[in-house]
Amino acid sequence: MRFLKLLYLLLVDTGQSIWLFLPGRKKRLGGKRTMAKLILSTGNIVSGGPSIIRKPGAYRSNLELTNSLRSNFLAAQEDYATAAADDEAQDGKLHANGGVENGAAKSNGNALHVNTETGGRPPVSVWTAEEDGALYVPRIDWSEAGLQEEPSQYSITVKLFFLPSASVERRAQFAKEALDLVLKELDAPAIDLLIVSFPGMSFEGDCEWEADRHNAVQGNDEQELATWAAIEDLHRAGLAKSIGLAEFGSEKLARFLQRVQVRPSVNQINIKNCCNVPPPLTKLAKEEGIELLAHSDCIDILPEGTLRELLGQGLGGAGILADPETGAGGLKGDLAPQWVAKYTAVVRDRGVIENKGYFAGAELTEG
Amino acid sequence: MGLLALGTALDWPEAKTKAHHVRAWGIKQLLEIWNKAKVKERDAMLWGDEVEYLVVTYSKDDPKVLLSLRQADILAALAGDKDLAKEVTPPASPVFHPEFGRFMLEATPGKPWGIDFKELLHVEPDMKLRYVHQSARVRILLLTRRRRAIAKDHMLPNEYPITLTTFPRIGSPGVFTEPHYPVSGPKLRSQFVPDEIANPHIRFPTLAANIRSRRGRKVQVNVPVFRDENTPWPWKDPTVNYDLHNWPEDDDVRNGAAPDNFIHMDAMAFGMGSCCLQITFQAKNITEGRKMYDQLSPLGPILLALTAATPIYKGFLADTDVRWNQISKAVDDRTAEELGEKPLQNDRWRIPKSRYASNSTYISEDPRLREEYLDPNLVIDPEIKQQLLDGGMDDRLATHFAHLFIRDPIVIFNEDLEVLDLSKTDHFENIQSTNWQHMRFKPPPADNNIGWRVEFRPMEIQITDFENAAFSVFMVLITRVILSFDLNFYIPITKVDENMETAHKRDAVLQEKFWFRRNLFSSRPSRGSGSGTNTPRSGGGGSRANSRPPSPVGPVEDEYKLMTVNEVINGDEEGEFPGLIPLVESYLDSVNVDVATRCQLARYLDLIRKRANGELWTAARWIREFVKGHEGYRRDSVVSEEVNKDLVGKVIEIGEREARGEGFKGLGRGVEKLLGGF
Repeated sequence: MRFLKLLYLLLVDTGQSIWLFLPGRKKRLGGKRTMAKLILSTGNIVSGGPSIIRKPGAYRSNLELTNSLRSNFLAAQEDYATAAADDEAQDGKLHANGGVENGAAKSNGNALHVNTETGGRPPVSVWTAEEDGALYVPRIDWSEAGLQEEPSQYSITVKLFFLPSASVERRAQFAKEALDLVLKELDAPAIDLLIVSFPGMSFEGDCEWEADRHNAVQGNDEQELATWAAIEDLHRAGLAKSIGLAEFGSEKLARFLQRVQVRPSVNQINIKNCCNVPPPLTKLAKEEGIELLAHSDCIDILPEGTLRELLGQGLGGAGILADPETGAGGLKGDLAPQWVAKYTAVVRDRGVIENKGYFAGAELTEG
Repeated sequence: MGLLALGTALDWPEAKTKAHHVRAWGIKQLLEIWNKAKVKERDAMLWGDEVEYLVVTYSKDDPKVLLSLRQADILAALAGDKDLAKEVTPPASPVFHPEFGRFMLEATPGKPWGIDFKELLHVEPDMKLRYVHQSARVRILLLTRRRRAIAKDHMLPNEYPITLTTFPRIGSPGVFTEPHYPVSGPKLRSQFVPDEIANPHIRFPTLAANIRSRRGRKVQVNVPVFRDENTPWPWKDPTVNYDLHNWPEDDDVRNGAAPDNFIHMDAMAFGMGSCCLQITFQAKNITEGRKMYDQLSPLGPILLALTAATPIYKGFLADTDVRWNQISKAVDDRTAEELGEKPLQNDRWRIPKSRYASNSTYISEDPRLREEYLDPNLVIDPEIKQQLLDGGMDDRLATHFAHLFIRDPIVIFNEDLEVLDLSKTDHFENIQSTNWQHMRFKPPPADNNIGWRVEFRPMEIQITDFENAAFSVFMVLITRVILSFDLNFYIPITKVDENMETAHKRDAVLQEKFWFRRNLFSSRPSRGSGSGTNTPRSGGGGSRANSRPPSPVGPVEDEYKLMTVNEVINGDEEGEFPGLIPLVESYLDSVNVDVATRCQLARYLDLIRKRANGELWTAARWIREFVKGHEGYRRDSVVSEEVNKDLVGKVIEIGEREARGEGFKGLGRGVEKLLGGF
């Protein structure tokens, strides 16, 4: 492994493609298309500083997500570059002691040296990881996963955003994938609440009344019901103690309730300054025992362009994707974000948010 | 105020000889409770508010509004009401307590609040006033609108509980209490207020008398007078009587106790008769409690300025806006030697602050706490500290208690000195509870399973329960924000003192700047730096959360700067400092809150936002403007009986409006600038 890393550093320094060293990542899915799965993560953002702050006027979760992804990428690059440099130094010594050819160590030193001098990024493989057929950006040290107290002390909520560019048929898979990641990250057997947010729906308007009317014709009932069945399965499997919806107005919710097996326990809506929930929705929620929760999340939480920018070669990008102009420097192809999972673990009887973060799944298609 | 045991209270000369005895036993009790409770873990977040009321008599036809001294009767009526207990359970009925002033009541919730967000909305109704006549309809309303209503229900028809910090004309010549008593009694020896103004329980007059006696003269509560167009200058307090010869202390004013341009007051009642809004939080363990104590300390002066409500004393407009320093002076028991006026001969040390003052210590073992934040001149009792260290306590906490224990106990009951009972904390509390600092770190009581608590004490009481609920809930949310985001508010403790002084200035909320930390966030924990110091999860298992940051570097002076209250609360324009309200909103965005609750919380945050940015006035500003705009005011700083009556009348009217749930619109007299569209 260490040897591979050394070799890798050498080759990156000479401009070789990183693809060489990530064998088995690409999957052939028929035809000429190849796909790669990316798992992006923010880590715990509650004690991570400014990315949690909601600035006046720009308070949507998409900013929180992109800011915290960006800062986590940067942090991982710093941390792992330092770790790699330490390893290098260590290796150099060992090699020298062992009488191994000095050239390798020297070159490595140069490689890192160049990076820091030019302000360039450390090599991608240092701070990302290939695991179970997915590229983790950044890599995750699962040995540090978990919460400080027993999982039962927490209320764990996951809000899963299905993104518009992703396949509707694969939503069940996405949901399982997302939930598994959160459970692994928090080292918990189950979560308390899983909220799903479908694309194309909003609860926005000058007033909530208007929002309720607009909402009635948004989304796609059939697709949402099909997805809900998969969410019900997660609930039945004991992975999510309760399940809920987001952005359902009174008409849509009424239609939905008639056709589901497991009823949503909450409906999350975006409220603006006028705190008037439309009476039909209040009434329905009360009658049906559905709690109306407030949120301020953005519907379009991770647009393709934003993701491309985050991972690209530009200023503030993570340098994972190839430069679209020159084709140089990283992964090539079309990048499609598929889902985003926001998770929070709140200590139940103390109201302290101990862990909050995001996972996002994306797929890169080359062909 | 607690601790109302009966017994033989010692007069000062004798109490003084027992002071060391009480301290020695107090330290033993402290070590006992500390040893027992230092391992307490995972206590829930519980909290309680204390609202203090003045009781006034008011009727439209009577030209005078007076302080009612019927506290004891009202409390007896409250205690004797069996229906009350029946009607208001569940939830538990509020608890009423006597306070120092015989015209005061203190009410607390019947049981502590939790952190369930819906529960936060119960606070305001609990505080609220419902005028209770004998009708059944109102009886039912009692169930929901309770605390103030219940108090009112047990008063005479012309008595009203109001939440002004001070009665504007307390201590003015003539009649200001009902019933009226002559001044210059043996306990207070005040030329402005009668002894009967204090709660008759032996503890209170003894407290006042022993403070005076220890000090060697009366307390001197001098507050600068506000200089208006027609205020004579230099201004000599016209109410001071220089010809009184009843007590030796009557010489005080002849010896310069009442300087020019200051409103002069001479009794504990002028300070301890003020009403405050205090919040106590239970921490999950001692570590979290110490952290909250430290982190809330720098917020004290900010919240003091933001809640300013005390612009009038003894019938004159003052040049300050808050009560704090007046209380500080009203219970200042320091001798001339301790004050540094005479060389030390009989006393042990010079003491820079009154027993009632901003706190002088940080107590957490947080690695972010730099040595430079501590006060290098902190006075401690080294022997006491050594005893605590020998008992196993760490240096920082031992220093804190060794600082509190530089004080003498003021009220000592002879009966308590016979046997040391380690299952009690009475001797410890004797010292602890007469250190009235702006934060208080409270060890668990001896006899139950309550956890470590922290009390936030600087806020001024607000006129309406809506405002009191808003500030209470805001502080609760701030504590959750501090713990969730692991915020760091540390600045040198002496800068907090400075801020406390700044908070007194007229309209400090808009006109002044306060030292505040620039960067609240801890540096990002580096990967692989291990887990935090929180409660360990049994069976191992780390967490990425709250990893300790590396020790800070760089000059301390670069860590803080002067900010306005608006910047602290709402954030700065450059976007460098986030602001407390945006942080609270970020917190609320991250937890599950139902829509109705979120909207109500938004109202509370809105009030605070607007008070900070000047869109709305503080109570202090409103009262000033009320006086200024009153036809009976002659621009001479005098708040006449006529103005006082109308002011209190307006406060009662606001309360009645609130009780009826009708909002505050159309009340006139600038009420819309105080309460806006709420």
